[in-house]
Parts: sequence; C-alpha cells; structure tokens
Amino acid sequence: MNIHMANGDQFRELIEAYALGALDPQERASLEAHLAAGCADCAKALDEARWLVSQLAFLAPDAKPSDMLRGRLLQTVRAEAHATKSAKTAAAIPFWMWGAVAALLLFTVYTSWETIQVRKAIDATNEQAKQEIAKRHELGEELAIAQREAIILTDPRSVKIAMPASSKDMPKLDAMWHAKMGIVVTGQKVPMPAGNRTLQLWLIPKTRGGKPIPSMMLRPDADGKFILLVANPPDVMDATKALAITEEPAGGSLQPTTKPIWVGAIS
Amino acid sequence: MFLALLANLGLGPAAGEVSLDATLVQGLLRRDVNAFEQLYDRHSRHVYALVLRILQHAATAEEVVQDVFLQLWRNSAAYDAERGPFVPWLLTLARNRALDHLRLKSERQRRREDQTDELPPVAAAPEYERELDERRRVERIRSLMGGLLPQQKRAIELAYFEGLSHSEIAAKLSEPLGTVKSWIRNGLLRLKEGLQTAS
Repeated sequence: MNIHMANGDQFRELIEAYALGALDPQERASLEAHLAAGCADCAKALDEARWLVSQLAFLAPDAKPSDMLRGRLLQTVRAEAHATKSAKTAAAIPFWMWGAVAALLLFTVYTSWETIQVRKAIDATNEQAKQEIAKRHELGEELAIAQREAIILTDPRSVKIAMPASSKDMPKLDAMWHAKMGIVVTGQKVPMPAGNRTLQLWLIPKTRGGKPIPSMMLRPDADGKFILLVANPPDVMDATKALAITEEPAGGSLQPTTKPIWVGAIS
Repeated sequence: MFLALLANLGLGPAAGEVSLDATLVQGLLRRDVNAFEQLYDRHSRHVYALVLRILQHAATAEEVVQDVFLQLWRNSAAYDAERGPFVPWLLTLARNRALDHLRLKSERQRRREDQTDELPPVAAAPEYERELDERRRVERIRSLMGGLLPQQKRAIELAYFEGLSHSEIAAKLSEPLGTVKSWIRNGLLRLKEGLQTAS
C-alpha cells in the first residue's frame, strides 16, 4: 500500500466520527484540511455519514412540546411576517419622499418640455439650413447655366443661327450653337402660346426625308422674353440642316403637329 | 394539500412528504405563516424530543426549539431541497443548537464558539435510503441500534447526545482511545449495513 493510499484510508476512517462531531481537535483539523484539498471520495462519504448520523435523532424518547411554545412561536412569526409586508409597502415610497418624488416629477416634465422646445428649434434651424442649401444649390445651378449660356453666346467658335418668323407679326429669334456647350435660343416680345400650349424646338436633320428631332420646350415670360439652353442637343450640328420652333400641346410632341413658326438654317 | 393527503393515505409516502416539506420551505421564503405552521406541526415533536434528550430540561429545550424554528423561519434560503431531504437537515440543526447550548454552560464552549450560528450543510439521502413514514423510520433506527454491542451503542450515544469527543468518551468510560474510536466507527458502519440490508 503506498503512502498516498494509506493516508486516504486513514482519513476515510475518520469520516463517520467527524460527522458525529466526535473527532478530537487535531484529527478534526487534519481531516478538514484533507477535505478542503478536494478529496471527492471523502466528500461523498461525509455526505452519506451526515445523513446516517441524522437518523440517530430518532433514538430520542418520544416527547411533545407545550402548546404555549407553539403559540409563542406563531405570534413571533406572524409579527415578523406582518412587519416584512409593512416594510415592503412602506419602502415603496415613504410619506416624506412624496414631496421629493413630486419635485422630481415636475423637474422631469419641465425638462422634457424644454427638451421638446429645444428639439423644435433645432428642427426649425435644420429646415432653414436645408432651404438655404437648396437655394444655394439652385443658385449654383443657375450660375452654371448662366455661365454656359454666356460661353455659347460669346465664344467665337459658336455658330450664329438666325431664325426669322414665318409671319411678319412675329419677332425674329436668334440662336447660337457651340459644338461642345450646346444651343442657346433667345427671343423677345414673343407672344405666349394660348392656354397651356408650349413652344418646342426641333432639329431638322440634313438626311433626306429625315424626321424632325424633338428637343426642349419653352414658354416666354410675361414680357415675352425667353432664353432657352439646350446643353445636350439630340444631334450634332454637322448633321443638322436647320432649327425650327413650333407650337405644341403641353408636354410637347414626338413630331410637329403644327407648321413651324420660326426656322433657322444652319450655314 | 394534495401531497399531504397522499402521505396520509400511505400512498407513495415519503416521496410525498419530502416534496411537501420542500414546498413548505419554499413558502417560508414568501413569508407564508401557514407554511411555517405546517412545518412546525409536522416536525416539532421530533425536534423537541431530540433537544430534550440532549438538554434534559423541558423549559430550556423549548427555548432551543423556539430558536431552531425561528432560525428556520429567518434563514429558510439556507435549505436547498436539491441537495437532500429536509428532516435530516432540520434534526442536525436542532442537535447543533442543543449542543451549543449545552456547551455554553461548560468549558467545552471553546471548541465550538466559531460554529454557534452556522447552519449545517444539507446532506443527500444515500441510495439505499428507503422512503418510510415517520413511525417506521423511528422503529427502524431503534431496532438497528438495539442490535449493536452495548459499548458501541453507549459510545455513539455519548457522542451524539452529549457532544463528547473520542478522548472525552474514552475518559468517561475509562477505556483506551483506540477502543472508543473502533466502537464508534464499527457501530456506525453496522447501522449503515443494517439500513442498506433493510432497503
């Protein structure tokens, strides 16, 4: 038998007496140290021994406690149970705290209202900023358009296209076509089309029998002025014979539905 | 209620009783006075009988019994039904309190001062433990104890009911220490064998 096993057996022999509480101090301390070290066998044996020792209680001669003991005990227990219940109820919100709770509630409501107001102000500011940005964007776009128009109108490489009217009552229009920047058509004292009808620009192709190519629509302002920019013409200048403008229904047409009011040949 | 009825009819006795005890202890956690009352009525006789046997004084025994049940009421969370049955735990608690009280009146107090308020661990019932009703349980252990050698029985009783150590028993009986150790160990092992055989 090796020493380890001998020691294990030695401790095992002490288990029942330990459960009984009969070990002398030195043996008790030694066994407790052994148990603390984690001996599973001894721990299991001790559990069983404790149960076994508990059965010795039934050796005691029968005896019955007095009814007074029962009464005293239940009185104490009922009082403690009631005190626990009262304490739980009272602990919810003691009377003196109602003031503090009310103040906290008011503060919370005020803070919430203030937060809402601040949030509204922030939202309004954000909306304003958005509008400013949109305006700026619009202005930027307008500036870009204006710059393009200016280039088309002033660049020597642009081709000037006179667009006389078919009727003497109608003013003459002018057009400038820049091969890279697009077409600008300008007019003054141009009568407003009736109703919601619109004026529409066409590119008449050089190709024999080629159909007019639809382009942008325009409506003069109240003074009869307009400036139309076609940044990306549907065809190139070299393939185009003439520019024409007709009056069309609102939204334009795929093909001219009326005779051209203005026509400008591209030389 | 249903489990108590089962136990009273002798149908599936101890299983029902064990479950009932565990259920009642759960009630203590909710401060259920009715649950406490039932536990007291079920077990106070054995607790009192044990404590009286140890202290040999009725009034003092009642004080200790009161302490035991109040400790149960105030520390019911200490009992874990998953670990083992309730009655052995309660009786161990009662024994410990009674012996503590005994030692307060003697110089043996110095040995147990650090354990005065400790609650005992819950011991699991062994596999061979039979599920018996109260009366049969008492009969069984008394019968088995009667089958021990007188010196084994005496040594065990001195250790159990008077809290004496090996050395103290040896001195009291004027016997060698080794002999007393053997009596106690062999006596308990015989009890264990008897319980295993009976199951």
